Amino acid sequence: MNSVPDLLLDLFPLIWSGVVTGCLYALGALGLVMIFKSSRVVNFSHGNVAGLAAFLIYGFSSGVLLSLSWGVAVLLAVVAVVAVAFLSYAIIAPIMAESDLTATITTLGIGLIAQGVTLLVFGADIVPLDLPLPRFSATTLGLRITGYDLTVLTVAVVTIVGLFLIIDYSKLGVAFRAISANPVAAEICGLNLRSVHLFAWIVSAVLGVVGALLIVPTTFLSATTVATFMLQAFAAAVLGGFASLPGALVGGILIGILMNLFTFYVSPEFTNTFLLIVILTALNIFPNGIFAKAGGNRV
Amino acid sequence: MDQRTRALRGENIALSFGGIKVLRGLSVEFCAGEVTGLIGPNGAGKTSLFNCLTGAYQPQGGSITFDGRPLDGLSPASRASRGVVRSFQTVALCPDLTVVENVMMGLARNYHAGWLDALLPLSRGRRETGEMQNAAVEALASLGLADARDLFPQQLPPGMQRLVEIARAIVGKPSVLLLDEPAAGLNNAETRDLTQTLRRIASPDLVMVIVEHDMDLVMSLCDRIYVINFGEVVTCGPPEAVRRNENVVSIYLGSDDD
Amino acid sequence: MSDSIIALDGERANMAGLRALATGAAANVVVIAALVLLPLFVTGSWSYALGLCFANSIGVLSVSALVRYGGEVSIGHSFFAAIGAYSVAIIEARLGLPLLVSLPVAVIAGVLFGILFAWPSRRISGIYLAVSTMALALALPEIIISGDRWTGGFEGLYVSKPVIPGIAIELQRYYVPLAALAAVVYVLSRLRQSRQGRALLLARSHPAAADAFGTRRSWARVSIMGISGGIAAVSGAMLAFASSAVSPTGYTFWSSVFLLVGSVVSFYGLSLTRALIGGAFLTLAPQLLSGSGAWIPVFYGLALIAVVLSGHFAPKLAAMATQRRGKR
Repeated sequence: MNSVPDLLLDLFPLIWSGVVTGCLYALGALGLVMIFKSSRVVNFSHGNVAGLAAFLIYGFSSGVLLSLSWGVAVLLAVVAVVAVAFLSYAIIAPIMAESDLTATITTLGIGLIAQGVTLLVFGADIVPLDLPLPRFSATTLGLRITGYDLTVLTVAVVTIVGLFLIIDYSKLGVAFRAISANPVAAEICGLNLRSVHLFAWIVSAVLGVVGALLIVPTTFLSATTVATFMLQAFAAAVLGGFASLPGALVGGILIGILMNLFTFYVSPEFTNTFLLIVILTALNIFPNGIFAKAGGNRV
Repeated sequence: MDQRTRALRGENIALSFGGIKVLRGLSVEFCAGEVTGLIGPNGAGKTSLFNCLTGAYQPQGGSITFDGRPLDGLSPASRASRGVVRSFQTVALCPDLTVVENVMMGLARNYHAGWLDALLPLSRGRRETGEMQNAAVEALASLGLADARDLFPQQLPPGMQRLVEIARAIVGKPSVLLLDEPAAGLNNAETRDLTQTLRRIASPDLVMVIVEHDMDLVMSLCDRIYVINFGEVVTCGPPEAVRRNENVVSIYLGSDDD
Repeated sequence: MSDSIIALDGERANMAGLRALATGAAANVVVIAALVLLPLFVTGSWSYALGLCFANSIGVLSVSALVRYGGEVSIGHSFFAAIGAYSVAIIEARLGLPLLVSLPVAVIAGVLFGILFAWPSRRISGIYLAVSTMALALALPEIIISGDRWTGGFEGLYVSKPVIPGIAIELQRYYVPLAALAAVVYVLSRLRQSRQGRALLLARSHPAAADAFGTRRSWARVSIMGISGGIAAVSGAMLAFASSAVSPTGYTFWSSVFLLVGSVVSFYGLSLTRALIGGAFLTLAPQLLSGSGAWIPVFYGLALIAVVLSGHFAPKLAAMATQRRGKR
């Protein structure tokens, strides 16, 4: 008799916090999907660059590099990351036309450099990075909802809605959709591939910074934290079919919930193995994502 | 039609992608000892029919038999092991393999040396390679390509690349040879040589089917011609009859530009 | 999938042809003879580093073979290397048996795991496969650590049994990986001459044509992953033997990426000298940069980008140069 409410008592908070972290995975996944959709390149440097950005915010605001206010530090980090996105795209653009796989390998090189720079400047130690969050906590229906949760949800919702609005209504967004649907036709119609690619790279970088900033308070910041977090983002993107923005969003939330359930009920030590299984299953059973319509799949 | 002749038969083949019907219950029969042509405007469904016959596509309806035995549901690889072999519209030779090695691929289905023979210096693997090489050189020589054996495909002109593909197709002594636009990209002299070669390859045991846009080649080479349009057979008969058929004339006048 | 990842026409023309083979064999004999004599002239620390270099060269070959024959890129090959390394270490720790016994086990385990990974993912390719190999590499450390009863967890295990008792272990740590490297290069040259090797190459460049001549795509994928996994396992076994220890820090996601970097800087070459270039890159760069480990990823990243960009622009520059010469 007692076991059912007990189960729910565990389940609700697990799902709730899964949704919260899932939103962050979704932010990471959206960045990967943006680049993949527009240019067929998987950006393996995403996590490392976002990690570097988190460290820059720490460095700019804590006095390690500069002692600026938090907001200015974030702004500077975003500027830095956009510059990195520019540079990355400049390196990859000529290779992309030749082979998307080679271009993907090249992003690993960029990731290596970002990782190395992080280590060089900030070392391999763990540093604390706090967000100026409203201290708030309320309990409803057995759920403890904190200021962090609400901040994450708000920021994620605002970012994602903003992104979808841009893609649906702005000129660049329309071009982005056209190019991801059919790059050759879009280019013939006079759309500028380069500006759309750059748009995707920059939006992706900014999404990465937002995701990294919000994930750090749940753990500590070290040279590997954010890169590890990106595995979740990859899993989310794969689950959503890798080429669908709404798919990435739902995939992220699903991964958040599944990870929480897995850690709680099965084992906290095998999370990456669990993600490996999720990725392999998703790729093989739903090669076009779990939301793709069944049908003609000519690979 | 004499039921004892070996033949590749397709009955009521239906194929569609999404909502688009590519083949609408089309029936064909290709007999051994004949060269059959398959003509029709672009998008008529010729290559789709080829892909159904070789198993690259699985049609939604109808059945395909060779020599009375059903091929339905078999993969391209298992159809190949029953002697159904094809060439491709665009040259599909491996750029990393020499000409003779490419041709040897046409024999791969007949050999079964294992991985140890492949990776270690064992006699079986070496003997196998030797046999394949001899057969491939012979096939190349029969098409006048003996000198090209150690070159790479991209070092040859397009016409010779086509011939290498044909050598690869015939080296395994196939029972069915499906040629998809063998003359595409060839100049007049090359096409004339190709016609000669194909005439020599034709034999009483071989079912040979050609999809081709070059009407001179089709008319001079084929014993029988199927005309296909909109996924259906318009007419079928010997070249002279097809040439006089009014439907065919209108189809080709309507799309003269290809 | 795009094919230009291996668009090295010059090398294609070199790869086969009996004469090229003969000169290649001659070059191999010279290089191996030089390497056999080398320990007479260098210090112990150098021969130790070279032993590791040979082991890494084998790892680079495993990735290059996958690229050449499968057209696929892996960033998870440390998984298969770890299979080999831990096979050797566990067999020594549990059964007290030397490398001579454990190496075949390691190879078989590597092949089996390669197949085990390839079979469910036989229909995915390109970047999708790369992503799943990434997940493979990221899952590896936690698997090793949680299996600490067998693997020794964080601490790892020691590998100290000599292959041939009575000969100085330092020499064996040099010569055994060298012999393994020579054997792997030989096996790969045999593969190029075999029916299976030709079928794999055709399946990579024209899967439909391979299909039409009796080579199934799934067979091709599973085969090349098995071969590549087996070679990676040899590399892991040699790393364990040459460095006398295994631990999870040697088999991370980044070590997989480094293997790919080694493969890229050796232009995915399968010859002895190419493999040695890749292996030396992975072994000697950390030695030279030992003052600051953080420079290693930066250096590798720059090298990777430089090689890819030069691979892209060199043919164009060469074309421009010949054009200019033609004008004069």
